Amino acid sequence: MTLLEFVEGPFFYFSAAVFIVAALWRLVGIIRIGRKKDIAPARGSAVTGFFKGNLRHFFPRGLFAQRTWMHLLGGYGFHLGLFALLLFAAPHIAFAERLFGIELWPAMPRWAFIIAAEISFAGLIVLWVRRFSDPVMRLISDWDDHVGSWLTFLVMLSGCLALQEAHDSLRILHMGLVNIWLIYFPFSRLMHSFTFFLSRGATGAVYGRKGMNP
Amino acid sequence: MTEAATTAVNTLLAQTDSDIASYLEACVHCGECAEACHFYQATKDPKHTPTYKLQPLVKAYKRHKAPLRGVLSILGLTPPEVTEDELREWEPLVYDSCTMCGRCTLVCPMGIDIAGTIRKMREGYAAAGIVPEGLTRARENVERTSSPMGVTAKALLAQVKRQKAETGLEIPVDQDGVDYLAIFSSHEIMASPEIIGGYAKIFKKAGVTWTLSTAAYEATNVGVQIGFGPLARDLVKRIVDEAERLGVKYVIAPECGHAYGAIRWAGPNLIGRPFKFEVIHIVELLDKLRREGKIPPGKKDSRKMTLHDPCQLIRRGGVLKEPRRLLSDSASNFVEMKGAGIANLCCGGGGGVSANERAEELRLKAFEQKLKQIDDIGDIETIVIPCANCRGVFEDGLDEYESDYEVIGLGELVAETLRED
Amino acid sequence: MKNFRRFIRTAVLLTGVLMLSGLLLADAAQAQSSVRPPGQAAPLEEDSGPSNALGGASDADIWRQIRGAEDMGGPDLPAAPGRNVPLYEDLMRELQGGIAGGTSSTAANSRLIQMLGEDWRHIRRDYILPYAGWVLAGVLGLLVVFRLIRGKIRIEAGRSGKYIPRFSMAHRIAHWYLAASFIIMAITGLIILLGRPLLAPYIGKDATAIMASASLQGHNLFGPVFILALLIMIFRFMKGNFFQWADLKWILKGGGLLGGHASSNHYNFGEKTWYWIVVIVGLIMSATGMLLLFPWVTDVLAWHQISTVLHAGGAILLIAIALGHAYVGSIGMEGSIDSMLRGEVDENWAKEHHDLWYEEVTGKKVDHKTGAIAQANPEAAE
Repeated sequence: MTLLEFVEGPFFYFSAAVFIVAALWRLVGIIRIGRKKDIAPARGSAVTGFFKGNLRHFFPRGLFAQRTWMHLLGGYGFHLGLFALLLFAAPHIAFAERLFGIELWPAMPRWAFIIAAEISFAGLIVLWVRRFSDPVMRLISDWDDHVGSWLTFLVMLSGCLALQEAHDSLRILHMGLVNIWLIYFPFSRLMHSFTFFLSRGATGAVYGRKGMNP
Repeated sequence: MTEAATTAVNTLLAQTDSDIASYLEACVHCGECAEACHFYQATKDPKHTPTYKLQPLVKAYKRHKAPLRGVLSILGLTPPEVTEDELREWEPLVYDSCTMCGRCTLVCPMGIDIAGTIRKMREGYAAAGIVPEGLTRARENVERTSSPMGVTAKALLAQVKRQKAETGLEIPVDQDGVDYLAIFSSHEIMASPEIIGGYAKIFKKAGVTWTLSTAAYEATNVGVQIGFGPLARDLVKRIVDEAERLGVKYVIAPECGHAYGAIRWAGPNLIGRPFKFEVIHIVELLDKLRREGKIPPGKKDSRKMTLHDPCQLIRRGGVLKEPRRLLSDSASNFVEMKGAGIANLCCGGGGGVSANERAEELRLKAFEQKLKQIDDIGDIETIVIPCANCRGVFEDGLDEYESDYEVIGLGELVAETLRED
Repeated sequence: MKNFRRFIRTAVLLTGVLMLSGLLLADAAQAQSSVRPPGQAAPLEEDSGPSNALGGASDADIWRQIRGAEDMGGPDLPAAPGRNVPLYEDLMRELQGGIAGGTSSTAANSRLIQMLGEDWRHIRRDYILPYAGWVLAGVLGLLVVFRLIRGKIRIEAGRSGKYIPRFSMAHRIAHWYLAASFIIMAITGLIILLGRPLLAPYIGKDATAIMASASLQGHNLFGPVFILALLIMIFRFMKGNFFQWADLKWILKGGGLLGGHASSNHYNFGEKTWYWIVVIVGLIMSATGMLLLFPWVTDVLAWHQISTVLHAGGAILLIAIALGHAYVGSIGMEGSIDSMLRGEVDENWAKEHHDLWYEEVTGKKVDHKTGAIAQANPEAAE
């Protein structure tokens, strides 16, 4: 077995398994804590509120966006770019198709990949720079924030460095980092990719019962 | 671990339901909440960042309740036990620099209700007895007289008598078989008793039967502000018992933010059963009567006015349109301030902060921004504030900054501008 | 500060892990056939081609052999008639008489060699490659010498403990955004430029090829990010960076290095010069870089050749000054990192380094003889 076969084979399966099991464990664990039934007479629907809350918090309201447009742009740029890369990069789709043995959606063209990567990197750098140069951010950030940012950055970077698809070593590097990232993910704040749904929903549901916009 | 710390941590953990857990899990430390917090904006001190105020709770949760904590603790990645020193260090952040106004909730990209979580944190603090002196005193007053300002039934009756004389109208007290029971915040009873006369005028016009009660007149719920569940329950229960004894159909929550939330949303959960009556906010009721045509508007007030949005009523109570509808009927020169509505700035004194002398300096700093917001409109004469506590904070602050805006309640304005027969 | 140190540790650790794993993987992969034709290329069989072809030798190796003079260690070619050193020199001599500028492949002229290309090749090989490394090594050496002689530049009056704001959040983000992309561009660029002479002898050709491929992709990808960051920085920092009267006096006093105090505004002469170098050279780097990224915009080869030369020269200049800038901005001078981390600086730092700016924002006067020292105590400063 070559090193490449190892990181794309057994090592990857292991990481993916850890990712799935631990992430589910954590999500189910949060939900299982449970909450008391609210017996105050409702003025609106908690269920609608749950979903409205999830949509509402995609955008800041009031006059906040004027003051925070820089992080807003950085945040959106990074996340949208990352999703585009994750889901539509040709090598990713090829990898997933080989893994599942089924045909998936078409890949984005190379120029789109480059643009998505540019936007994503630009956004991530803005977010991370803010994290270490703003007194508020420095007070509230912990090691988890930095490790998460760096790991994600390295995964993205190694992926882009392997863009020529000519060297197995670069592919090994990328896959190796992906595996480490997958293992780190469920134990860290990267889990916000799933828990945001719960927290926005929780607030949305409470506000929804009060018959108002969360 | 000291006894106080143990009690605090245990209470905090007991308070952590799946909602709170998902909040603590979802925070990505993005710092947006600092932009929303008037205490941070006023001081630019990073410690006033809302999510930072939750730190002791986060630590306790991660150590004792978070899923996967077992794996993380093997790797030594769970935080150390919360100490009493730490709790005390955070106490001013939890009590002085949070009015639970919920602007941070609004701006949070993860939708984390930091304001509601602070409320839960206060439960832990109150259980361990780590509470600011001002609030402890308010609590002692309440236990003695049921009112945080020490307003007794006798004092209420004196004010009722005066209002009767002033308006020449009947003000029913302890009368059963009526539809509505009105309760007030002690600030209203002591500082703006005209509202009692106002109620009499409005309800007479509307043909609504109502009463005051000498057993349940105080709406302010210090238990909710301090975060002391048992006291909050007793205070709610006092009103519920009396309302059900009198057999009223509605209890009218006064123009007071926390009082409304305490009885309307927290109330049934505190006593553990639904009420046999409905809770309605006075602003909702006035709007309802107005739309039913029972209290037609008369000559409008022509002073240049603006509306302050009390957090607990507008942002967290959902009564957003009603005050504006009432105002458009009552004022001819009404102007909104910049940022009005659901995201409006807090006055700086809600959530028990105004009862906490230690927080005065901070509160006044926060109020400065509110004042600027109003100054920026230009030439305002009167600020309409449908919250007695906000009014108190405004009066203090306007005095401090030598500003001479007039502050009135919404009910008062509606009563003054009713159509004369 | 504690947080920052922890973050620096994490960053260093992670970078170390990345580099180490990169090298290890490169080494491990060398054993497996690691070089493949790019993605979509048709599969090439080992030793394909006619039986008398050159086998494992690459095109570059063949050209090097033809030129003869510079053997980069490629495989020796089998002796063949007509392929010897004089051939290349003869060819060049013959071509000298022809056109020197444009490409040669036209209907009228069937030559495929552009003479300027030979000059370009010599500039790269004889000047840029050998000197680039030495210039950078020299700058580092100078910094070490400066450190040994001058030591860390301290705040003479000590820290006052009181801070005045210097750079807004927007300024800091603009600065670090440019710094981050610059570091990536510099490292990848240096690997592309100097990988062959500096890395190949130590880590081998295959590993160098891998790092060069990775660097090329990274360099191309981050180029536009760098341009964006540069433009943001140019606009964000333009205010205060125009030269003023005080700058002339600053030059005459040698920036305070020659003794005596050199007054300066928000930025001193050195900082302003650095700003304008970044603006001008940065824009040249951006323009030449874009041409190299999209070479088909012009078919005048000279543009491409000038671009590579300017791009390499500009890069060395920027990296050299950036090293000095980073030194003075961090470990070289007490209190200066605060301006970019906290956005505010110690009052005494401001008095000593940017007195005119200090007077402008605080409305107080600075007395250079006694003032700063007398006010070292925060209470006394009141």
